[in-house]
Amino acid sequence: MAGAAVLERLRPGPRLVWRTVTVRDVVDETPRARTVALDVPDWPGHRAGQHVDLRLTADDGYQAQRSYSVASAPELDTLELTVELVDDGEVSPYLVEELRPGDEFEVRGPIGGHFAWSVDDGGPLLLVGGGSGVVPLMSMLRHRAARGSTIDAHVLVSARSAEDALYRDELAALEPRAGLHVAWTFTRTPPPGWKGWHRRVDGAMLETLGPGPGAAPRAFVCGPTPFVEHVAELLVGAGHRPRDIHTERFGPTGG
Amino acid sequence: MADGDTHTDGNGIAGLLGEILAVEATTLHRRCQACGDEQPLGAHRAYHGAGVVLRCPSCGIVAVRIGVLGERRAIEWHGTFRFP
Repeated sequence: MAGAAVLERLRPGPRLVWRTVTVRDVVDETPRARTVALDVPDWPGHRAGQHVDLRLTADDGYQAQRSYSVASAPELDTLELTVELVDDGEVSPYLVEELRPGDEFEVRGPIGGHFAWSVDDGGPLLLVGGGSGVVPLMSMLRHRAARGSTIDAHVLVSARSAEDALYRDELAALEPRAGLHVAWTFTRTPPPGWKGWHRRVDGAMLETLGPGPGAAPRAFVCGPTPFVEHVAELLVGAGHRPRDIHTERFGPTGG
Repeated sequence: MADGDTHTDGNGIAGLLGEILAVEATTLHRRCQACGDEQPLGAHRAYHGAGVVLRCPSCGIVAVRIGVLGERRAIEWHGTFRFP
């Protein structure tokens, strides 16, 4: 019964339903960002790089919805989101400043397959994150570490200042692993005594970072829209194949 | 404000499309009716206003228009979509 098989395959799966989740823990990452660990009933598991939609409902029934990248590795038993505060945002101030363990809200996902990677997809990897755009890339690197992979991974994170830099200690701790190269550039205020890059991402930086287009790396670029457009143009200009460049844009601010 | 400052991409509306489609939307390939380029929906530009408009990342023509009216969705598709 081919028809029945097709209908079965096209039947909406149980994946994209709103689930009530409970906050297990909150951890401050920077003065403006925090990681929220969630208990999600019947979570189907995610691929590194995917995101979730999050929905808050006020007492009067008003709802606000935003998308957040998953920060944790698929191998972890809890779902972690890292949320950065958006000034005059509607959702992020609540998540970053108000949320407490035991609080509940709704989540649906995992969502997306274009901006996702698993060790089984192979490499090498070229990951470029701007600001909180590093969050889905961190999920990929945590996944890579959890699987004990030595796939070549070259990572560039652009942060405004050392204070705003997410996961800096964890990335430094991961870096001695074979095949992982992490570079930072600080666009405003570098750490004291910093001798590294102190400017916007440019072509020379990407060339130094590698791997070059000859190695045909899988590139993942995430961050604010102008950042992503800029980096993707640099990569195409350097000779990387457009279909190898996966992009995810947060828009001007997020929310 | 420049376009580069206001749009996101097809990844951001995957949840909205996931309400309707039984297949994962961002990896769904679309061949453009105007320029012929084939790109996954996740790579399309998304413009948010009263609903969402997805545009071809190569030529900029309208690819998908999504109207959101409460629980109702109205979608206009342009181009050829490959399943899977």
